[in-house]
Amino acid sequence: MGAPMGLLEIRGVVKSFGGLRALQDVTFSVGQGEIRAIIGPNGAGKSTLFNVMTGLFPPDSGEVVFGGERISGVPPHRIIRKGIGRSFQITNIFPRMTVFENVQVALFAHHRSSRDPLGMARRYPSVAAETLDVLRQVDLAEKHELSASILSHGDQKRLEIAISLASRPRLLMLDEPTAGMSRFESRETVELLRGISREQGLTLVFTEHDMDIVFGISEKIVVLQQGAVIADGTPAEIKANPQVRKAYLGEEIQA
Amino acid sequence: MAAFFDVSFLTVQVLSALRQAAFLFLISSGLTLVFGVLNILNFAHGSLYMLGAYFIYALTLHLTGPAGFVIALLAAPLGVALVAVVIEMGLLRRIYIQEEIYQLLLTYALVLIIHDMAKIVFGPEFKSIPKPRAIGGAVTIFGGTVPVYTLVVVVLAPLVALLLWYLLYRTRTGKIVRATSSDREMADALGINMSALFTLVFAFGAMLAGFGGALAGPARTVFPSVGTEVIIECFVVVVIGGLGNLWGALVGSLLIGTLETVGIIVFPEFEMSFIYLLMVVVLILRPWGLFGRPLKVKALAEKNLGMEAQEISPVHFSVRPLVRMIPLVLLLIVPLFAGRYYQYLLTQILIASLMAVAFNLLLGTTGLLSFGQAAFYGAGAYTVGLLATKTGIGSLSSLLLAPLVAMVVAGIIGFFCIRLSGVHFAMLTLAFGQLVFAIIYKWYNFTGGDNGIQGIPVRPLPGGIDIGSNLSMYYFALAAVAVAVEILRRIRSSPFGATLKAIRENNQRAEYLGVNVKLYQWTAFVIAGAFTGLAGGLYALMEKSISPDIILWTKSAEPVLMTIIGGIYSFAGPAVGAVVFIVLNSYLVAWTENWALVLGLILLAMVLMLPGGAVGFVNEKARGAFGKMGWVRRWAFSKSGAS
Repeated sequence: MGAPMGLLEIRGVVKSFGGLRALQDVTFSVGQGEIRAIIGPNGAGKSTLFNVMTGLFPPDSGEVVFGGERISGVPPHRIIRKGIGRSFQITNIFPRMTVFENVQVALFAHHRSSRDPLGMARRYPSVAAETLDVLRQVDLAEKHELSASILSHGDQKRLEIAISLASRPRLLMLDEPTAGMSRFESRETVELLRGISREQGLTLVFTEHDMDIVFGISEKIVVLQQGAVIADGTPAEIKANPQVRKAYLGEEIQA
Repeated sequence: MAAFFDVSFLTVQVLSALRQAAFLFLISSGLTLVFGVLNILNFAHGSLYMLGAYFIYALTLHLTGPAGFVIALLAAPLGVALVAVVIEMGLLRRIYIQEEIYQLLLTYALVLIIHDMAKIVFGPEFKSIPKPRAIGGAVTIFGGTVPVYTLVVVVLAPLVALLLWYLLYRTRTGKIVRATSSDREMADALGINMSALFTLVFAFGAMLAGFGGALAGPARTVFPSVGTEVIIECFVVVVIGGLGNLWGALVGSLLIGTLETVGIIVFPEFEMSFIYLLMVVVLILRPWGLFGRPLKVKALAEKNLGMEAQEISPVHFSVRPLVRMIPLVLLLIVPLFAGRYYQYLLTQILIASLMAVAFNLLLGTTGLLSFGQAAFYGAGAYTVGLLATKTGIGSLSSLLLAPLVAMVVAGIIGFFCIRLSGVHFAMLTLAFGQLVFAIIYKWYNFTGGDNGIQGIPVRPLPGGIDIGSNLSMYYFALAAVAVAVEILRRIRSSPFGATLKAIRENNQRAEYLGVNVKLYQWTAFVIAGAFTGLAGGLYALMEKSISPDIILWTKSAEPVLMTIIGGIYSFAGPAVGAVVFIVLNSYLVAWTENWALVLGLILLAMVLMLPGGAVGFVNEKARGAFGKMGWVRRWAFSKSGAS
C-alpha cells in the first residue's frame, strides 16, 4: 500500500474459543510514539486482543508484527525482550516483596542479571540507582521500603506501571490502567503516562472504560465490537462516526 | 499363557480386579468430590477410610448376626461423617483463605493424629472383622471359586455410584455442588451458603470413605497405617482421572484395579511400579488427568491482595555476618563435650537441615511444593552406597558424585513436573518419587532390593584423615553442610533468588518481565535436587547402611514438615524445624510410642496459630522487643531489601 509501516501491526487476527469467535479479522496499525486506545463494550474482545498481542496465546490466523518482526506465537518472555511492556487489568505485582524489590527484579530481568545465582542482589549499585530512578518517575520513591501489598490500590497500579517501564520498552500496553482508581488518581496516572510517552517517545496502547480519559489523551482510537474492528481513527473521527455512536457510545460522547 | 484363556481363572481375576476397583472408587469418589468443591486435597481421607473399618470392627463386637452386620455397615460411615463435621467446622474452616499448602498440611497433621489415636484406642495389631455366615462363604462361577463377599462388594459399589449420580445430577443440592465445583466464584456470587455447603460436602465425602472402609474391613484386615497405604493409591486414581472429576475417579479406579490385578499375575516383581508409571505417563500426556480440565486458579497475587490480614510477611531484615557465625561456632565446639550418641544426633540434625533448607529453595523461595524430594535423597544415598560397596572409590569422591547423580535425576523428573503447578505439581513429584522407590525396591541384583545395602565402608579422606568415628564424621558432615548451606544462602539472596521469589509471588507477572519462568523453576528444582542428593550421600556415610525406606513418600514429607515448623519465609527456618523434628523424633520415640500424635498436634498448632513458623514468630516478636532496645537490633541485624 506504500504507507509507512507502523511500530505495531495487527494483521487479520482471528481467535476463537470453542465455537465463540472472540476476534474476527482484526487489522490496524500503531505508529511510533503514538498513544492509541482500544475501546469497545464488554465482551468486544479487548482483553483477548491484548493477550494475543502479548503472546499469552497465539492467534488462529493472522499475525502481529512489532518493529518489522513477527511476534505472534512467540512466548511472552521473548516478546517482552523485544521491547514491549505490559500491565494488567487486575493489579499484577509481587505483593509480598517491597516496592523496591518489585522494580529491582524487573531490572535484573532486563539486564539479564537474573541468571547470577551467587552474587548478592544488594551488591548491584547501578541496579539500585536505576530502581530508584524508575520509582521516582511514578512518584513511589519515598515508599520504596514498604511491602507492596500494603500500598493503596492507586499506588499498586502505578507500581505495576513502574515494573513495566523498568525494561525500557518501546511499546507499553496497558489493560485498563485506571481501573478501580479514584477520579483524582486516574487523572494523575493519565498525566504520568502522557508525560512519559512525550519524554521518551514511548508508544502507548491501552484499553479503557472511562471515555473522558480515552478522548483526553489518545491520538488514535480503534473500536471493537463483537470481535471486529468497526472504526479506526482520530478521536474526532470516532466521535463523528455514526456506527460507533449507535453501537457503543450512545449519549456519552455528546457531552 | 494358556491359563489366561481358562474361563474359571479369568472369572476369578476379573472379579478380583472389579473388587479392587470398587474399593478404590468408593474412597476416591469422596476424595475427588471434596477436592472439586473445597479445593482441598485431603490427605486424611485415607484415615477416614481407616476409621470406617475400625468403626465396623467395634460395632460388630456388639452387633452380631446378619442384621447386626447391616446396621454396623450403615452406622460406621455415619460415625465417620460425624468426625468429618467436627474436623471441618473445628479446623479446616479456619484456613480456607490460606494458601494451598497449609490446608494440605493440616490434613497431613490429621493423618498423624488419627493414626496414633487409632493405635491407642484399638491397639497396633491387625484386626479382622467377622462376616455373617450368609456372605462369608464362596460360590463357584464358571468353574472358578469366588468369595460371596466379593460379589457383594462388586454389586454394592455400582449402586453407590448410581446413587451419587442421582444425588449430583437430579437433586437441587447436587446441582449446587456441581456448579460450585466448576466455578466457585460464580456460585459464591449467586448467594449460595458456602460454609454449609462445604461442611455438607466434606461430611459426605468422608461418609463415602467410611463406607469404603466399612465394606473393605471384613474383606481385608485393619491396622492403624492402613489409611496411609490407601491414600496414596487414591491420589493416583484421582490424579489419573482428573482431580475433582467423579467420572475420572470411576475410570481411574477401574484402570488401577485392573492394572494391579494384571500386574500381580504377569509381572509380580513390578506390580507396584505399574500404577506410578501409569500416573506418570498419563500426566505427561494429559497434565490435568484423563477427564480433568486446567484448574481455574485464582492468581496468587490476587489472592494475596485480598488477605492482607492473614499475610505472612517475609522477613525484611537479615542477620549480620558476625551474628551468623555464632551458631557455627557453637556447632564447632559443642560436640567436643558431647557423648557419642549426641555427636550422632547432631550429625543427623545437620543432614536433615541441609535437606530442609534445600527443599525450601523450592517451597519458600520459588513457591513449588515438591512431594518427591526423597527420590533425590535416595539417589544420593544409593550413589554413595553402591560406589562404596562395588568399587574402591574414596568416601569423599563418592560423596561428591552423589549430588551430580541426584542432579541428573532431578533434571529428568523436573522436566516433566514443572509443566504443572500447585497440587498437580506436588502429585506428579510424589508419583515420580514412588516410582524411583519402586524401582530401587524391586531391583535386587543392583540395589539389594528391600534388603538395602549393609556395611557401607567409610574410607579415609585424602591425606589419610579418618572419618570413621562419630566425632570425625560429625565434623566432616559439618564442613559439607556448612559449604552447601552457604551456597544455598547466596543463591537465595542473589538476583537469581530474587527472580525466583518474583515467580513465587506472581509467575504470570514474572513471565512478563521477560523471565522464562519454566526454565527458572526447573533450575531451582535441579539445584534443590542436587543438595538433597548431597544430604542423602552424607546419610549413607553416617549410617553405613541404607534401605529403600529412605525413598518412601513419608521421607519426602519430612522436609515439608520441618520447613513448616521452622518457617517457610526465613532462610534459617527449615534448619530450626529440622532441629525440632529430629530432637522430637529421637526423644519422643524413647518416651512414648505415639510420637506421630505429638508431631501431628505440633503441626496442627503451627498451621492454625503460627503459619509463619517458629522463626517467623520469633522475628515478629523480636521486632517488637528490640524496638525498645534499639542497640541490640542495630548490632544483630542489618536492614536489607532482600528478604
